[in-house]
Amino acid sequence: MDRSRIRNFCIIAHIDHGKSTLADRFLEITDTVPRQKMAEQYLDRMELERERGITIKAQAVRMQYRAGDGVEYRLNLIDTPGHVDFSYEVSRSLAACEGAILLVDASQGVEAQTVGNAYLAVESGLEIIPVVNKIDLPASDAEGTAMEIADLLGIDPAEVLMVSAKTGEGTEKLLDAVVERVPAPSGEAWMPLRALVFDSTYDSYRGVVAFVRVVEGTVSRGMKIGFMATGVSASVDEVGFFSPDMISCPGLEAGEVGYIITGIKDVTRIRVGDTVTGREAPAAEPLPGYRDPKPMVFAGIYPVDSDAFTDLNDALEKLKLNDAALSFVRENSKALGFGFRCGFLGLLHMEIVQERLEREYGLDLVVTSPNVVYEVEDREGRITHVRNPSDMPDMGTIKEIREPYVRATILVPPDYMGGILELVKERRGIYQDMAYLSGRRVELRCRLPLAEMVIDFYDQLKSRSRGYASLDYEHMGFLPGNLVRLDILINGEPVDAFSVIVERSRAHDYGKRITQRLRELIPRQLFDVPVQAVVGGRVVARETIKARRKDVLAKCYGGDVTRKKKLLQKQKEGKKRMKMVGKVEIPQEAFISALRSGGEDKGK
Amino acid sequence: MRLYIHWPFCRSRCSYCDFNSRVATQSLMAAYGETLVKEMKTWASLIRLGGQGLRSIYIGGGTPSCMSGEEVAALIDAASLAFGLDADAEVTVEINPATWEAGDFRHAVSGGVNRLSIGVQSLDDGALRRLSRTHDALEARRAVASALTSGARTVNADLMYALPAGSEDAFLSGLEEMSGMGVHHLSVYALTLESGTPLQRLVEQGTVVLPREEEAARQYLSAVEMLESKGFEHYEISNFCKPGHCCRHNLAYWRREEYLGVGAGAHSLLGGVRFRNQRSVLLYLRLLKAGELPVCGAEAVAEEEAREEMIMLGMRTARGVPERTIGGTREELRDLENCGLLTISGGRVRLTARGMLVSNAVMADILYRRG
Repeated sequence: MDRSRIRNFCIIAHIDHGKSTLADRFLEITDTVPRQKMAEQYLDRMELERERGITIKAQAVRMQYRAGDGVEYRLNLIDTPGHVDFSYEVSRSLAACEGAILLVDASQGVEAQTVGNAYLAVESGLEIIPVVNKIDLPASDAEGTAMEIADLLGIDPAEVLMVSAKTGEGTEKLLDAVVERVPAPSGEAWMPLRALVFDSTYDSYRGVVAFVRVVEGTVSRGMKIGFMATGVSASVDEVGFFSPDMISCPGLEAGEVGYIITGIKDVTRIRVGDTVTGREAPAAEPLPGYRDPKPMVFAGIYPVDSDAFTDLNDALEKLKLNDAALSFVRENSKALGFGFRCGFLGLLHMEIVQERLEREYGLDLVVTSPNVVYEVEDREGRITHVRNPSDMPDMGTIKEIREPYVRATILVPPDYMGGILELVKERRGIYQDMAYLSGRRVELRCRLPLAEMVIDFYDQLKSRSRGYASLDYEHMGFLPGNLVRLDILINGEPVDAFSVIVERSRAHDYGKRITQRLRELIPRQLFDVPVQAVVGGRVVARETIKARRKDVLAKCYGGDVTRKKKLLQKQKEGKKRMKMVGKVEIPQEAFISALRSGGEDKGK
Repeated sequence: MRLYIHWPFCRSRCSYCDFNSRVATQSLMAAYGETLVKEMKTWASLIRLGGQGLRSIYIGGGTPSCMSGEEVAALIDAASLAFGLDADAEVTVEINPATWEAGDFRHAVSGGVNRLSIGVQSLDDGALRRLSRTHDALEARRAVASALTSGARTVNADLMYALPAGSEDAFLSGLEEMSGMGVHHLSVYALTLESGTPLQRLVEQGTVVLPREEEAARQYLSAVEMLESKGFEHYEISNFCKPGHCCRHNLAYWRREEYLGVGAGAHSLLGGVRFRNQRSVLLYLRLLKAGELPVCGAEAVAEEEAREEMIMLGMRTARGVPERTIGGTREELRDLENCGLLTISGGRVRLTARGMLVSNAVMADILYRRG
């Protein structure tokens, strides 16, 4: 197809602002999916995505459209993930497009993430088509929302299109606007191949399916190719596109979007952001912007039943096949037995992984409270990265601990500003500046330690603004903090699962909460058991589990022997479920509930 | 061999009781008494006692003193006739204070009973009512006095601690009074909340509040201290005696010696097999009428299990258990010794009074720590 008739675009929208519904309308209008076959929200394939209303895996659909000018165009709609945890994936999807529809719910207005992604799109040089959705809703404020978008982008409100994805009103006009305003791709088919992998998925029969945007050159079936970042070579088994099902074709040329299958089974070898080139006439330089996926949030994941360790291992291996950002290494916890220290892009990513493990693999899991990665510089100037608080070296050897910070943007109606500023302060945030968006919303910018964000910050933000505040953030590197490692000792023995890195001034509060919790949960032993929170050898909180004083079968005569034996049998069974911490027997349930209730008061 | 005779009938049920007992008519009790004799005869025809007679008889319940003194004497005669009775055999009968007149005591003793066990429970009338006992403190004192003058060799009184709304003082003064009256033996039991009893429901509703663990422990330890100072030997977790007055029948249970239990729901240990009779009185009667033994739930005790039984029973007594029976490493026992829960000396392991109070946990520790 003539390159001038290709349009590659995506939809930027906040969760629930109607992206999937709009995509459904496009599929109908272009007859890509006949109306009667339309499963609701066709693009969100995973069951979990549908339930949570978010898109995890970007996809691309090719549509044929005869525009108002009577010419047939080929439209490639590239779907983007909607959550900040996946901002790198968003940026790669944007890099595969020339234009973006900025879709905003007329009843909700602009949200912080939408702003973030819109700026990202502008920076990537994309043509933005601003659209107000849900104009059919009685509660909608289409004019006000259009004003907000115009403010944000510095355009005339008249340029903002009005649609109702639900009723279809304005959607055909919107497709015409895509054809008119989004530029056709550049790049020539005869050049050395450079194709951007903007996403991948895993098919258990065929291996990794890479989603590619061919920027220059041509990729065709049977061709020998290489991935420039990972250095992996392969030959192309199949080339094709989605419409919306996989349709194989002889090749894809510069400007086109589709998929390639190479028979590679390992998703870590085909990375999002990598550049595909030809083995025979390779390109000199890869496309810009590749980054290794870098987990920022870590947590220990353990099976409740230690016999399920192998199952957990297998499940993680399988999940990893279509989630390159997930990392895991085996670890052994005194309290929880064998498990894994897992790395995630963010908290949502962590929740999704946990849920998939539980739902798809039927595992019952304990997840330690999440922590971030710390950069530790010792007195000799050596720098290490600590992913598990119990790996933090002795405080005496440390010169400085640095923790990851994010640049956060919060959009909130002025009425709730006070509460949000307070929250930011409580969470050790550093206020930067603020600006009014069309008088209805304040844009607050601040720096926050990521560690504070991974624990219920978002929930707090929502509850203190009656759900109106929205949040976007990006990582900004490591900053020094007054941090200490806090250990929990039961009868003098440290219990690794409860070690945390905390800000010095909060060590006492945290220690007190955990020790009290454990005192309630750990059954009384035959001797007094001290539970201590310790920072650098100093006890900051202490509780004592008093010894059991009376546990006796008063009568044991001829007829009571059998009964006593049954009692002992029960105790024997109970002991099997006990974990030993030194000489203290602790039922695993006690650890689990202490961890599940969290050291943190949710305070919602 | 030793014989236990179960009398499952009571005048009324106590609020804390989950024992095999029931309230019955005179005619049912008469039929039951006849059937007991039949059961003993049947057993006597099956087992050889090797020329020796019974070394002890224990008539328990229920409330065996629902029988008259003469009826008890007749039961002892029947047992003696069936199995033979050693000249110095210990013969115990349990007595509810609200049942027997002085004449019953005399008849029983002249009929062979030499150990009388009185279910005093408490000398606090409020406490007795809360337990729905049929007697009051005065009747209890009278029964003990009658027992002491009946000519029986040993008189025991049962007393309970950790009672709802019961103070330590009331409990200790009850013990003191019993000791002052001259009883030779005291059994001191913690009130135990059994599931399905009326008392358990009251506790669940919050109508009745039981003392906390610490309070109950204090009452027990005070009792141990007081009774030892009065010359009682603390020879088993719940049992105290003046020298020479320990209950030989009960000691046999803790030493894992053989015994035959007759009557509905009675347990036996014979030839390394534990078994019991049918609990239902009617089923018991019917089976024996048909000429069958009402035995069920027989289980041969394997060697390892027998060792565990030796430990769990032996550790209840002051004599303790040989260290080699327990096995394992000295280290593990040392921990418990360091906690003041047991002592190791002369190759035997014994619980301390504090250790007895938490003996369930200590035994589980000894038996299964390495499991």
